[in-house]
Amino acid sequence: MKSWLITPLLLASLALTTACNQQSAENPDSSTKTIKIGAAVSDTGKYAREGKDTRQGYELWEDWINSQGGIEVGDRNYQVEIVYYDDESSPDTTAKLVEKLITEDQVDFLLAPYSSGLTKSASAIAEKYDKVMVSGGASGDSLFTRGFQNLFSVYTPASYFTQSILKALSEKGAKTVVIAYEDTLFPTNVAEGTQKWAKDYGMEVLAVETYPRDTADLSAITSKFKSLNPDIFVGGGHFNDALLFVRSAKEQDFNPKAMVLTVGASNPKFVQEMGEDSEYIFGPTQWESSMQHQGNYFGTAEEYAEKYQAKWGEPPTYQAAGASAAALALQMAIDEADSLETEAVREAMKELNEVTFFGKINFDETGKNIDKPMGTIQIVDGKIRVVAPEEIALIKLNYPMPGWKQRNESVSSSSN
Amino acid sequence: MNQFLQALINGLLLGGFYAVMVLGFSVLWGVMGVINLAHGEFLMTGAYLAWLLFNTFSLDPFISLVLIMPVMFILGFVMQKYLLNRLLERPSLATLLATFGISVILANVHKIIYSADPRNVAVPYSGSFEVMGLSFPIVKTLIFAIALAIMAGLYLFLQYTRLGKAIRAAAQNKNAARIVGIDIEQVYAITAGICIALTAAAGAIISPIQAIYPFMGQPFTLKAFTITVLGGLGQIPGALLGGMFLGIAEVMVATYVPGIGINLGVVISLLVLIVVLILRPQGLLSGLRKMQTD
Repeated sequence: MKSWLITPLLLASLALTTACNQQSAENPDSSTKTIKIGAAVSDTGKYAREGKDTRQGYELWEDWINSQGGIEVGDRNYQVEIVYYDDESSPDTTAKLVEKLITEDQVDFLLAPYSSGLTKSASAIAEKYDKVMVSGGASGDSLFTRGFQNLFSVYTPASYFTQSILKALSEKGAKTVVIAYEDTLFPTNVAEGTQKWAKDYGMEVLAVETYPRDTADLSAITSKFKSLNPDIFVGGGHFNDALLFVRSAKEQDFNPKAMVLTVGASNPKFVQEMGEDSEYIFGPTQWESSMQHQGNYFGTAEEYAEKYQAKWGEPPTYQAAGASAAALALQMAIDEADSLETEAVREAMKELNEVTFFGKINFDETGKNIDKPMGTIQIVDGKIRVVAPEEIALIKLNYPMPGWKQRNESVSSSSN
Repeated sequence: MNQFLQALINGLLLGGFYAVMVLGFSVLWGVMGVINLAHGEFLMTGAYLAWLLFNTFSLDPFISLVLIMPVMFILGFVMQKYLLNRLLERPSLATLLATFGISVILANVHKIIYSADPRNVAVPYSGSFEVMGLSFPIVKTLIFAIALAIMAGLYLFLQYTRLGKAIRAAAQNKNAARIVGIDIEQVYAITAGICIALTAAAGAIISPIQAIYPFMGQPFTLKAFTITVLGGLGQIPGALLGGMFLGIAEVMVATYVPGIGINLGVVISLLVLIVVLILRPQGLLSGLRKMQTD
């Protein structure tokens, strides 16, 4: 019964092997004409969602560059091949896989995983083996204070998150700021930056409050802030905090003239789940498809979003766009260096100064992208609109925001 | 003065929620000695059910309680009858492991069904009302009222009904209860059903003020542990006292200490816990306990 199946199968596989052998015999240097790039990205675990976005961003670039004929180095065109592994959202696994990518798969360059935490461990291995690693998903300032040579990130660093909105609000006449943040790494970086920018733009910081992870109630902070009557409130750490701040501000009738939430507001889920209470809230964002960026490679942000939508059937998140931008930065550096040597490409990365669909990419000595201003969105009529900085803004920002009680009146009077 | 009164109100409201959140955990532990590590996940399940009913049928979370509690009662009943009852005679590590397994399963099943995106129930009445210059958040006041009602109901049930007395008897002395004809296994299953239903109810009523996501449960389990030990096992007044104490302590410290207030509030509540464990290991109120029969 089974023997009649096995024979043709054997024959077929034999034929296939010979065919493959023949093919590689015809192109003896086909393996040398490929640039191998390694990427350990989360497919499972905590960062499963963002990891998927990151990988889709990388793959979009890979398809696109190969369809353009690859990257030209010397007088040869190289195709690109990205080798992926699932890092399971674990820093230890990431480190092991990056080592495997370098020693076993012998990749030429590395693309980083999503998140500052995973990138921290991945970049340590890249540094050990002296391989260039480009990240499209890490903004922690502390990544760039370790004296590493080989890590570059296209994200605006965390300490710059509130720069554009504080600048815009100071121009509107805001004078005082209160800050509340979760005492973990990333929110702390953001809050330290916020204090610095507030001073730079001539505003006074009235109070700074911290709170631990997994806090279930923040009404003590909002009621304290209420008595200070500040112009600007900056707060947040995670999505839950953003929600707690909005809910308790409304409950306590705490009415700053502007509410800036570090995390959450630029996520479409925020508007969807919070409803009308999310109106007027500001939030920093790495990238939105409506931003007025235009580059030489993917065109405008909007055009990039269309390409992404066509390939993956969903609009790109900023994580996906960041990933494509990271790969693009690597490509531009290889182009510029006209070499595949780590040292030449690394120097070219540092020299890079180019506007792309993701915004300006210009790395400093430590590998931070210093020239890309952080965008700020405001939720207006249930839509996420870019309002700052001015050169990429879509609409003028709404300031001051109406008090909670006035809003209810205007809603009820308009319905009358 | 006004700030003090406002902080007191905020603390009381938070405490009321803590108290109702801890009930199911505390009674389950007090009656059959099961430390339910899946407590927070059952709370999360209740919150998701409330979100689902709100989103599909625009059912208010405070009304959907009448649907959520029976469903979760059955879940708790089945879990106890077919799983935990078989493990009760084993070393207590067995039930710890089993409930830990349940917590992992529940969290990940919810992740598969709802994805990891955070949800929230945006009730239209999320503002506050004022009484004598003090503001009372509407949702939190409702939560407080329902918490008190649930606690009063459970107290009366345990104190005065035949089944309630059977539950207390089973907690005090299993063998003696068996001798007088109480079906221990059945009583345990009903107790677990009630506890899981209460926990899910707590999850449902906080759905308008918390982000709902599959991994939200763990901090609640930890908090429940603290409050139960503070107040006394399986005791409704104990849960109320422990919850109130924690709520008021956290809000007061957070209001009057600048900068690190909320952090310090948590530190202080845990310091008090250590002091209570040293001076009154049975909790502020002595809870449901086994009678010394030997």
